[in-house]
Amino acid sequence: MMYEVKHKTVYKYQSPVSLCHNIVFQVGANNSLQEINSSICTIDPEPNYMMEREDFFENKYLYFSVQKVHKNLIVESISQITVDQPFWLDIIPSETPTWESVVKSLRSIDTSNDIRQFYLESPYVTFLKDIRAYALKSFTPNRPIMEAMLELNNRIYSDFTFTPGFTEISTPLEEVFKHKKGVCQDYAHFGLACVRSIGLSARYVSGYIETIPPPGKPKLAGADASHAWMSLYIPNVGWVEFDATNNLLVADQHIRVAKGRDFSDVVPLKGIVYSGGGQHMDVTVDVTRIG
Amino acid sequence: MNSQITKEDLISSFLNKRVKNNSLYFDEITSPDGSVLPHWQRLLDSYNKLGKNAMDERELEVERQLKENGVTYNIYGDPNGMNRPWALDAVPMVFSEEDWKVVESGLKQRTTLLNHILKDIYGHRTLIRSGHIPFELIYNHQGFLRQVDKLEIPGEQQLIQYSADLARGPNGKMWVLHDRTDAPSGAGYTFENRVAMTRVFPEMIRENQIRKINTYYQTLKKTITNLAWQNKEEPRVVFLSPGSENEAYFEHAYLSSLMGFTLVSGADLTVSDGYVWLKTIKGLKKVDVIVRRVDDVFCDPLEFKMNSQLGVVGLMESIRQNKVMVINPLGSRILENPGLMAFLPKLCKHILGEDLILPSVATWWCGQESAKQYVFDNITKLIIRKIYRDNTNRSVYGSALDNKQLEALKDEINTRPYLYVGQETVNFSTTPSYIDGKFESRNAVFRSYVVADTADNSYQVMPGGLTRSSAQEGTFIVSNQSGGISKDTWVLGSDKHVKKDIVPHAILQTENVLPSSTAEKLFWLGRYVERSIFLVRLARVIIKKYYETEDNLNVEKDIVLCALLKAFSNITLLLPGFEDKKTLISPEKELISIITDVTKTGSLNHSLQAFLRNAYAVRDRLGLDTWRILDNISEESNQLKNSTRINEISHILDGLIIRLMAYHGLGVDTMTRDISWNLQGVGRYLESSSMTCTFLKNILSKEINTETEKSLLECVLINNESLITYRYMYRSTIEFTNALSLLMLNELNPRSLVYQISQIEKRVSHLPSNSNSQLGLIQKKLLEATTLVRLSDPAILKIGNKKSGRRMDLLVLMEKLELLLGETSGLIINRFFNHTESTYGFVSTKIPEI
Repeated sequence: MMYEVKHKTVYKYQSPVSLCHNIVFQVGANNSLQEINSSICTIDPEPNYMMEREDFFENKYLYFSVQKVHKNLIVESISQITVDQPFWLDIIPSETPTWESVVKSLRSIDTSNDIRQFYLESPYVTFLKDIRAYALKSFTPNRPIMEAMLELNNRIYSDFTFTPGFTEISTPLEEVFKHKKGVCQDYAHFGLACVRSIGLSARYVSGYIETIPPPGKPKLAGADASHAWMSLYIPNVGWVEFDATNNLLVADQHIRVAKGRDFSDVVPLKGIVYSGGGQHMDVTVDVTRIG
Repeated sequence: MNSQITKEDLISSFLNKRVKNNSLYFDEITSPDGSVLPHWQRLLDSYNKLGKNAMDERELEVERQLKENGVTYNIYGDPNGMNRPWALDAVPMVFSEEDWKVVESGLKQRTTLLNHILKDIYGHRTLIRSGHIPFELIYNHQGFLRQVDKLEIPGEQQLIQYSADLARGPNGKMWVLHDRTDAPSGAGYTFENRVAMTRVFPEMIRENQIRKINTYYQTLKKTITNLAWQNKEEPRVVFLSPGSENEAYFEHAYLSSLMGFTLVSGADLTVSDGYVWLKTIKGLKKVDVIVRRVDDVFCDPLEFKMNSQLGVVGLMESIRQNKVMVINPLGSRILENPGLMAFLPKLCKHILGEDLILPSVATWWCGQESAKQYVFDNITKLIIRKIYRDNTNRSVYGSALDNKQLEALKDEINTRPYLYVGQETVNFSTTPSYIDGKFESRNAVFRSYVVADTADNSYQVMPGGLTRSSAQEGTFIVSNQSGGISKDTWVLGSDKHVKKDIVPHAILQTENVLPSSTAEKLFWLGRYVERSIFLVRLARVIIKKYYETEDNLNVEKDIVLCALLKAFSNITLLLPGFEDKKTLISPEKELISIITDVTKTGSLNHSLQAFLRNAYAVRDRLGLDTWRILDNISEESNQLKNSTRINEISHILDGLIIRLMAYHGLGVDTMTRDISWNLQGVGRYLESSSMTCTFLKNILSKEINTETEKSLLECVLINNESLITYRYMYRSTIEFTNALSLLMLNELNPRSLVYQISQIEKRVSHLPSNSNSQLGLIQKKLLEATTLVRLSDPAILKIGNKKSGRRMDLLVLMEKLELLLGETSGLIINRFFNHTESTYGFVSTKIPEI
């Protein structure tokens, strides 16, 4: 499937900004599941300094600073990406190894640290007893890992109510779990907490998803948003992606931008401005199927 | 009295007590049978020779030395905890030559080892992959900064500064308690301790052949300046401090000036074009090296702790570009990791092929099942610590917990085993301390200092360091706040074999720049000293008048006193104050409050505190004697705070005025006539001229009968320090036109308005200017002000409105001048201190939410 993604952020500042520094994670990377056909990031006013860099998790990101007085800042990323059907669609869940054996193999130093690091806690994903207990209801003894994960994905989807505006970045997992409300990144963080607390490696994936308007209605411009889901490591298979928000085993409607331990590693756009005043932010995302 | 007995008592009673006591601890000075160890013998003989009285005197002298050198520390978050005097024991810690050889080689080895580990952790991570270091020990540690992965500084040595806290255990061996690798502190205090001891015990230092510690600082300076990526001939090095409220700010100011580095805080630096710049009064200057005392994750809010106000936004990018060198490199805190201690012996064998010379305190890392079991089984004998330090977690003694707390702790350890270690509680050895005229045993911890010498890839150990002893025997907490006392550390032996580092001449000559924020503090320092002087004078005049008033019961009838009191309220802006009739009837309470209450913005004591605060913030630029004066002023300000009687206050004010004038006089006598001097001067004269205008406006703007006015004018002249001049010049009774002429127009009277405003003009013209436009505007305002004053005619100003008696011309003139001076101040602040905004905030972030 081929998509065009437009991700536009507009900041309006109340008082003029003399200097700003920003980090942008909106550039996707080529991998076995997708190919970037073209990608461009336009920034207005034009940055005085800009560098493309790679982070610890091998994501590409942009660093830029604007050193002239400005009142608005616009960051627009446009990319065209071909997404393939992932290999995991062919896996038979009941034939995957038991989750306990995976936990055990992850503890061995034969497994690379790049994989092992994702069973640890991270800034937004902490271990809680209740969440562990919630996870163990699906991860019953000797159950094949994929089967258990699909069930967990389904349970999160049905137990939680998708509620934009209920949570913000700083809302702790306890709160999310208590009210079972939130948006995709809460679903993703919760899923990560479930599987990591029983010893499995899983990572946070940020990106976009193609949304389909209700039957008969046209698709509205700017109606999309950035999306997040998780991927679980299964030995001899690899990283398999699950989207609890949509109760999906990820297929070819998800476009990946970056992966990390959680949101804090791959914030789509963060920045610091030198200014005394307030600000207004407007983000629009459009995901269009182009082939 | 037989002084021989006193002398004998000093040491022998201490030794006797030691023998009988059968102490738990290893003692630094005696062997178990009570005989004195050879390396202490000479020193004890010296103490014996001195005797108690002389020893008491020397102890006082040590205290005086430190006080006079302004050696202080702060307590975070405690408003009364600023500038606490630093305590130093008159008895040092002593290392024998043989003992020191082991410590020195042990420290060199440990630093080399840790450096290797650091390089690996941010490099290939082979030690982790091979299992020599458990991966959870690193990846879970808050000091493992993924942002600095694969970044290296040139050369073998990544770890530039290292400190270890050492203590001697019951078996007589030195143990490492903590590794300090992020931003080790204390080397400045160590130097001051040595300076004080050398002054007070010169003969003992000589007789005992104490090794010198200077070379450490020379090597440190050489290494730091050599590490610049660019501009190697004349690198600009800044010393980044969290600011004047930091507990060790004294040391930051002291060390930076000792090394010749510019002392800065995060707000003084800015990143653009990938470079780090220092905001100075002469514009932006490129920074080559940052020696930091700001903790790693506070260094760049964009990439680490986003709420940090102590760092520099964009610093990480500049580091990535090799545009700036930060020392110690960010990421070094990963080595401050007690979990690592459990693996060091094996790592030492594996990496260096040697046995670890200095053992660490016995450590069990709970990330290993068997070690965790050991910790659980022996939990009441151990200290439980996290593998990293932060403000929220403290180490706990298992023995201090009840069963419920123990279960909760075990539960937490079971959830996150790899975050915890159990460590043996070490009974530190005891050393003698001189306390209340007696030698007493106290447990001591020794902090060592190691620095990389990049010239030959070696590590140099300071032959000495900072020893701290506990407040009581048997406690092992040695922090300042818990009453711990510092000790100088004497290493016996010769310095002959030590290579001397000659610091290249060019490096010594780096241009002394003035950061904008420091410039701003100097400006306010000038303003507040002048304000304080003015208010002290006025308060003294008022108190004198208050005592003299003929009708004590009807103060409100004394027109002169009332005018002065009202002016006091108006000048301090503590209104209504004496403008309220009721207050005027019994003025004492308000008068005391206006003078003493630091919580009231504008009060005399508030102004003194503001003066002191600004002075402390630029302490690296003020001389030693100035410190002694500031110290006295600070004491007097504290006394004022607690004063409740006018009498008492009057005494303190008498002392204060002398001290404030001494501060001023010392400045005149010693300060280089550079930008700092001019800025302080601009501040001073702006304040004094504005105060004079406000005062004259308030006190003279209404006609009163001639006799009363005479008396009032006398007070005004006293307050302006112009009475003598007046008498000398006019030899007549005091009269309005002459007095005003002296106070405003006399070009030779340093207290006159015209003189003061011309001084501002003169000083401003010496300030650096890039573009003339704004400076021109400042000069225009000042020209307008002096012209207004010069063109004024006291005879006309004297005339009051026929009906109301108000002197409208005087009133209008003074208000115009106040406005012009206020505008000048605003323009100066804008022009010199605000050239880059330093307040910043995060832009909002949108979370993925479909």
